[in-house]
Amino acid sequence: MAVRRIDVREKVMARNNELAAEVRGRLAAHRIPSLNLVSSPGSGKTSLLEQTLDALGDRIRMAVVTGDVQTQNDADRLAARTDRLVQAVVTGGACHMDARQISTALDEIDLAETDLVFVENVGNLVCPASWDLGEDAKVVIFSVTEGEDKPLKYPKMFEQSDYCVINKIDLLPYLPFDMDRAVACAREVNPNLRFFHTSALTGEGMEEWYEFLATLAGIGQGAMG
Amino acid sequence: MHELSIAYDICRITEEHVGAGELASVLEVGVEVGVNAGLEIDSLEFCLEALLGAPPFGQAVPKIERLDGDELRVTYVEVEDGSP
Repeated sequence: MAVRRIDVREKVMARNNELAAEVRGRLAAHRIPSLNLVSSPGSGKTSLLEQTLDALGDRIRMAVVTGDVQTQNDADRLAARTDRLVQAVVTGGACHMDARQISTALDEIDLAETDLVFVENVGNLVCPASWDLGEDAKVVIFSVTEGEDKPLKYPKMFEQSDYCVINKIDLLPYLPFDMDRAVACAREVNPNLRFFHTSALTGEGMEEWYEFLATLAGIGQGAMG
Repeated sequence: MHELSIAYDICRITEEHVGAGELASVLEVGVEVGVNAGLEIDSLEFCLEALLGAPPFGQAVPKIERLDGDELRVTYVEVEDGSP
């Protein structure tokens, strides 16, 4: 029996990365910045976006693509806060979103009338780190009900993120959470992280987040009132 | 957690290089996996054994090489070429 060997040398993620490049190109052509929100389940991604849509919706035209393993509950919550289209991706068991899903979602979004795109990824601090969605930056959200050493336990996600939102700071009086240690753990993994300290419930710390988004979307501080 | 979807992608890449009609003749699929690729390598191997050992494949087995770093790629496919 003769055996023939075919050289392949193909990266398994190459197809996804090609699609991510296509997504990045489409967004760049419309000068639309994009943020991929990643976190463990329950850190407050949807609440952060609800408040953001409420606060900035009349100044920044935001589109959101949500991903969940099951239900479109998050998309429904966000759709209640905006007249703009919220695209729901139900991954049907998959632990991450991929670039094809984002590309398909963008087909339904009027990019000419959009200033900023959010992807709310599946709540999972491991797998979404392996899939480039074509975003400009990942924002890792980390709540004070989680352990301070979470960045050390899940380093890839923190390494790949440019921004870190530490959320639920309204609970700090009731928890033994050491903020300095949490920030130090995150900086140990990624010294370049920019931090936001927020409570999406009370609004504390949200202004800095809003100013950041406004600047990103090209609206600028002056237009923020 | 996503080893099965990666295993399906490896099968897709194999099919692209071999052809859909020739999958039963695949004997071995070489895969390089970095220890930081975000995968449980034993789980990936289990998934690949299940997929490559069933139709449309016939008797193929994965050959996984563990590397440093986060590399993840299909390196080669071996097929029975039909000649004696």
